[in-house]
Amino acid sequence: MASLPFTNDIRTLRFLAGEMTQGELGDRVGVTRQTIAAIEQGKYSPSLEVAFRIARCFDKPLEAVFQWTDGNS
Amino acid sequence: MNFREKTAWLNAIAPLAAYTLYFGLILAGHPAGREVFPMLWLFGSIAIAHAIIAMVGTAILWAQAPKSERARADERDRAIHRRGATIAYYVLLVGTTIVAVYMPFVTSGVPLANAGLFAIVASGLVNSVVVLMSYRRGWHG
Repeated sequence: MASLPFTNDIRTLRFLAGEMTQGELGDRVGVTRQTIAAIEQGKYSPSLEVAFRIARCFDKPLEAVFQWTDGNS
Repeated sequence: MNFREKTAWLNAIAPLAAYTLYFGLILAGHPAGREVFPMLWLFGSIAIAHAIIAMVGTAILWAQAPKSERARADERDRAIHRRGATIAYYVLLVGTTIVAVYMPFVTSGVPLANAGLFAIVASGLVNSVVVLMSYRRGWHG
């Protein structure tokens, strides 16, 4: 499986949000706990809508949650 | 393993067992490989047994699953199933082309029908295996 060209800080942001669980974040975003886990582990690339919903849950801009890593613009 | 992954296992194992039995019997010389009514009876029996196992199994898995896992499929579930259906479509396309375009020149009747059934079963199994692999290993939808 090819790795995604971006990483995310969802685990850290959940910790900073009072140890929010994957299930709680999933409920707020409208996806399952398994999907949040897959996103965190880089096994699933979320849609733009879900990415924005995750960022809004933490009251952060999108680029504070997801970071492009492969050097290409 | 969550509800949807367990269901994917069920959807892979149940048809594999059912149709391994069906095509195994045919390869072993069962009349269903040559005659219409034995074929319809055998295929009908196995298809009904497969459907019952799938429905009962899904109901048991659903009853055992935590409420949070019974939620509607989300975008990742839909992407995984879409990928499975897309790949299975090409398997069905190749199988149907062989059965409908080439095989009528070399055989007919029950063997032709069984070849068609095999193409359908093979595409269904490919669908299930792709879905299962996507849940196990991750797949970028």
